[in-house]
Amino acid sequence: MQALQGVKVIEFAYGMAGPWIGRLMAYCGAEVIRVESKKRPDVTRQYVPPWAPEMGMQTQLSPWFTDWNAGKRFVALDLTRPIAIELAKRLVAHGDVVVENYATGVIGRLGLGYAELNQVRPEIIMLSTAGFGDSGPCSRYITWGPNIEAMSGLSTLSGFPERSCTITQYAYPDAVGALHGLFAVMCALDYRLRTGKGQYINLSQYEATVGVIGHVIMEYLANGREPARRGNGSLHAAPHGCYPCSGDDRWCVITVSTAAEWERLCHIVGQPEWLTDPRFATLSARLEHASELDRLIAEWTAPQADYAVMATLQAAGIAAGVVQNVEDQFRRDPQLAARGFFEEIEHLKKGKVVATGIPLGLTGTPGRTSSSGAAIGQDNAYVFGGLLGMSAREIQDCIDGGVIETADPP
Amino acid sequence: MTSAAALSGRRVLELADEKGLYCGKLLADMGADVIKIERPGGDPTRNIPPFWGDTPHPERGLFFLYTNTSKRAVTLDVTTAEGQALFRRLAQTADLVIETFEPGTMDGWGIGYQALNENNPGLVFTSITGFGQTGPHKAFKSSDLVANALAGGMYVTGVPEDPPVVLVGSQAHIMASTCAAVSSMIALFHSTLRGEGQQVDISVEEVNLAVTHIAGVGRWLEDRLIPKRIGSALIAAVPSGAYPCKDGLVYLIVNRPLHWKALAQWIYEVTGNDIVLDPMFEGPTANRQPVRDLLDVYISDLTARFTVDEMYHEGQRRHLAVTPVNTATGVVQDPHLAARNYFVAVDHPGVGTLRYPGAPYRHAGTPWAITRPAPRVGQHNEEIFCGELGLSTETVGELRQRGII
Repeated sequence: MQALQGVKVIEFAYGMAGPWIGRLMAYCGAEVIRVESKKRPDVTRQYVPPWAPEMGMQTQLSPWFTDWNAGKRFVALDLTRPIAIELAKRLVAHGDVVVENYATGVIGRLGLGYAELNQVRPEIIMLSTAGFGDSGPCSRYITWGPNIEAMSGLSTLSGFPERSCTITQYAYPDAVGALHGLFAVMCALDYRLRTGKGQYINLSQYEATVGVIGHVIMEYLANGREPARRGNGSLHAAPHGCYPCSGDDRWCVITVSTAAEWERLCHIVGQPEWLTDPRFATLSARLEHASELDRLIAEWTAPQADYAVMATLQAAGIAAGVVQNVEDQFRRDPQLAARGFFEEIEHLKKGKVVATGIPLGLTGTPGRTSSSGAAIGQDNAYVFGGLLGMSAREIQDCIDGGVIETADPP
Repeated sequence: MTSAAALSGRRVLELADEKGLYCGKLLADMGADVIKIERPGGDPTRNIPPFWGDTPHPERGLFFLYTNTSKRAVTLDVTTAEGQALFRRLAQTADLVIETFEPGTMDGWGIGYQALNENNPGLVFTSITGFGQTGPHKAFKSSDLVANALAGGMYVTGVPEDPPVVLVGSQAHIMASTCAAVSSMIALFHSTLRGEGQQVDISVEEVNLAVTHIAGVGRWLEDRLIPKRIGSALIAAVPSGAYPCKDGLVYLIVNRPLHWKALAQWIYEVTGNDIVLDPMFEGPTANRQPVRDLLDVYISDLTARFTVDEMYHEGQRRHLAVTPVNTATGVVQDPHLAARNYFVAVDHPGVGTLRYPGAPYRHAGTPWAITRPAPRVGQHNEEIFCGELGLSTETVGELRQRGII
């Protein structure tokens, strides 16, 4: 039995921040019905394979489609038509949770706001998630993950002192928003289990992202000053950095957090005299001379292989880790391999694909992903015929009227 | 408000270092009764700098204050038999245990998942460790930096000429905590319906691989691309990046064909550059990949003529994803956050009032709230050991003298 078996989720969402919530819930056994339209395809539906650009736009092949949408059911409704809105409401009447991340205000204008959905399903839990939330002067502004990194202070407060804007390549706030959104939904489900009451939840990705660096922002709130950028350094541990190793763009990080670890490190590096060197003998001295210490440790790491540095230090109980890229993670990380972290998923068009694992760690009710690569509207028959009990004739009328869009042939 | 909180009535025991504190905070601010169990004398995380007023003190560390809101706290030495017995009694009243010890540590003390499950079969027992409960690295030492390195975020963050760099504020631990809170609630949902608890095995490394998956294995295996550091641009969106204005930076990203047309039109209107209107630049990002640097020059010519605020609001009026690149000051003074009353004031009796970042989500029916500031060391010893477990004041006094409480 899976943990969320029996839970039904209806999703009106684009990109990652909304869809990843449904992906994680589907992995735990929830039935997630994703409503899409060919007239407004999601970013992952507009994918041109970089390995074969001549194939043009491919709606089912994006690896991000798998990451964000695998395991769901897919229906195609043109929500600009009133009958489509009625069908969407009938879906919601069967549902427990609605997740939407259209631009603020859009879902309400479509007639699918919380007030309307509450009429057809009083126990519904509805999460609206957007960059700025549903109120305030900028609530309708549009953002993508990196915009939120920039807005939240994350990109200015992170990084080396001389760099004023450090941005990730993984749209970090999308993951922040999705995980906080899912937690918010689960809290509401917990409350509903005990009281029978549903509710509306609003999430601002901007606020959630300020929240994950809340303690850093508090340096301003408490002490009235901008936090300094420290790169990979620490205020309370040294050495604490990223050191070059042999090879191109190869690095190993090392963090030493106790006096015993420091002593072991000095012996491993072959510099026992550092233990009495006034620059390094105490933590406060090491913090003061951190860049000098970093330079000396880099001299020790530079001729060595990154994984060798990690192995040597870990064998001595010192925290160290290779700066891994994706290939390293897949081919050279024995821990991830032993735990079977990467997941092989059936793909309707490609046979099988391998995707990043879902890290929920539910040992009693392990999750799994049923399949990926579905077309827009792939599950129309299952959902409209099976779940809503519409006749073949009714469905055909909706198709003829442009309300339900048919799936493209595989 | 406490009675209407989403998690009111849920009890959580937290034996956590910096990997798990934010998990407890998420639960506590939603109304769970989170009891923090610290070693006698207090947890070392109390001493993480910087401090409120720059005064090193176990009740003034900003990381500690922020990540321990709404919790109660007791001290208990769970390495002793008496401490373990008391912990077992507390665990019988709990829905959830959050712990961050090395795998097997709590089993060794007779208070691991199996042992507690015997008297509380619905208990959810969430373990957060660097590498997980199994596998060849399970006993390896981890840290926020180490997890960020192994999980791949560092490799793709920053500029190519710098070493890889980590995000500020222990994000690997914060994300592990967030995922642990998610998993705990999913496991509690299952337990409430079906009566079965379980151990939740959170690996900080794995959580952060998942968090960074946009630059992850799918891109490599399917797109044959190893994402690298490329500065402030996003590899999958052209144009994108931080662009200089008169008084600071804005971040701009074009992710849809329509956005490009709107941006090109704006550049043309302001700078007179009509090359940008060429249809060869239109369509999906793939069409613009070869000319990223050129487009950046055109865009910088636009942004340099405006202030950050002008670019921000005029850009958004044109439906472009333009935002300021904020400092902490910019965030705290943002009129949008002010209009939403995002920051909340928390009273610290006898010390003063401190403003905190507020709710990450807003539940219309069950408000999020910081119900109390982070607890002092052992602040709720009497309340919990005497008031709830029924120990006499003398017994607690005696346990205190022997260093167990």
